[in-house]
Amino acid sequence: MTHLTGTPGPAGRPAVRTRRLTKRYGSLKALDSLDLTLPADRITGLLGRNGAGKTTLMQVLTGQIFPDDGEVEVFGERPAENPRVLARESFIAEAQKYPVTFHPRHVLAVAPWFYQNWDEDLAGSLVKQFGLPMDRPISKLSRGERSMVGIIIGLAARAPLTFFDEPYLGLDAVARREFYDVLLADYAEHPRTIVISTHLIDEISPLLEHIVVIDHGRVLIDSEADAARGSATMVSGPAEAVERFIESRPVLARHRIGRLGRATIGAAYDTLAPAAQQAGLSAEPITLQQLLIDRTTSPGSRTEPSDQGALS
Amino acid sequence: MTAPSVPVPSGVVPSRSWQRVVRITRLQFVDPWVFVWLPAIITGAALLISIAIAFIVTRIAGVDPEALRVGMRNSWAVLAAFWYFITIAIQAMAATFPFALGVGSTRRDFWLGSMLAFGVFSAITALVFAGLRGLEIVTGGWGTSAAMFDALWYVGTPWWVGAWSTFSLALAFLVIGAATTACYMRWRALGVIIAVLAVVGLLVAAVAVITGLAAWGAVVAWFTRIGVFGIFAVVLGVTALAAIGGFLVIRRATPA
Repeated sequence: MTHLTGTPGPAGRPAVRTRRLTKRYGSLKALDSLDLTLPADRITGLLGRNGAGKTTLMQVLTGQIFPDDGEVEVFGERPAENPRVLARESFIAEAQKYPVTFHPRHVLAVAPWFYQNWDEDLAGSLVKQFGLPMDRPISKLSRGERSMVGIIIGLAARAPLTFFDEPYLGLDAVARREFYDVLLADYAEHPRTIVISTHLIDEISPLLEHIVVIDHGRVLIDSEADAARGSATMVSGPAEAVERFIESRPVLARHRIGRLGRATIGAAYDTLAPAAQQAGLSAEPITLQQLLIDRTTSPGSRTEPSDQGALS
Repeated sequence: MTAPSVPVPSGVVPSRSWQRVVRITRLQFVDPWVFVWLPAIITGAALLISIAIAFIVTRIAGVDPEALRVGMRNSWAVLAAFWYFITIAIQAMAATFPFALGVGSTRRDFWLGSMLAFGVFSAITALVFAGLRGLEIVTGGWGTSAAMFDALWYVGTPWWVGAWSTFSLALAFLVIGAATTACYMRWRALGVIIAVLAVVGLLVAAVAVITGLAAWGAVVAWFTRIGVFGIFAVVLGVTALAAIGGFLVIRRATPA
């Protein structure tokens, strides 16, 4: 059996590239001149707030919707109506529609016709592992069971470019753990480009090799996951001590709750930790989730921190 | 930024064009409930009701069987399942289309594969209905002078003309239903409204022209001349236009 891995070319070449990619819905720019490259054969976390444009981006990359402007390339070609590209992508949307009368057994009977690397054994063992009911209309499945259908397709398809869109909505902690374990094990054996869009960032963080944060339809952070984690440090302690400590440092965000202060500083943990300790503050490397919170702000709270400085 | 992205992986030849089309046809047929059991149940129920009515009227009310047969030839029971065909068409576009896109089909392949499925289904329906019509004639109306399959325009036509009309009409319901829903998938409700208004407008214009030319007599004469076969050839022609229009519409449609 041959396996498509998407790596005939030299490592580091992107699987996906967009330039000035724009998608409008009325006056809203879901994608706003978005430039992005996604590395091949990595697990990338596509992160961002609700409405940031994550699903829109994945829909454009899989040819499900048409961009208004800009360029998009997947495996070097435009994806829309391109069977050569689409045959190598898997994208079961979070709100995926299925034929009205279908049961999971119908979906799993049909899926192998569309994915050349389909692994029937993996699909079967995942059905057992998750305890997915095969003979009930999909419309009658719980949210978690619907998520299982999407996960099973996404994993068993072994598509060279696999998108998971909020893959585990409604799944309990045990089922999510199983998903991570199977994903990692299968990825190790069959390297491929995997893009996971999720809000459960802390939980999935150990899996991610690369992260892309989008906000208001633009790329905010595009970085190796480790570099992103090392890019900032969180210090906390008595509010006054925190204020003094951050005075001459690049502050990304700060919060004050009563007498307690907390700030995110754009410097690596290693370089900051000794000084923080000396100042009586505790320091820790930033988590991806905290980084997202500090960097993606809604328009209303965007004043922080620069405007605060202007006021004082 | 300008480094070329990874080319499409080689090693596995993309499936041929016709294979990509046929797998959509198979996808449409994979659940027999849609194209086999439900049409069979609806048609079977209509037949049972027709037989029951015929039985009651002839055996209990004592009406002359031959008079009943003539009367029942105005029954539209033969078309009972055809209204459900519209539901099939709507669901094939509204739900199966987004699913097909989700598993990596192109819109082109989806439309062609669905049209092939509709064509195969209409052909089988035509043959089954022709068989049932033959059975109805041979059994003297299912033993009760009931008329369901040998009714309406079918009466007096050769079996193959009847089958031709069944095929043409079933395909028309499916394809026009699908093309209309394709308008919805592309332009949402406004698209459907405009499409329907456009068709109605064309019909009204045709009526106005014919009336203005005082040509109704000629029109009726023409339809009489082309006969049942010709009329359903026209229906098939209109269906073909809907299939082409639907193809153009769905090429830029998006999942809801």
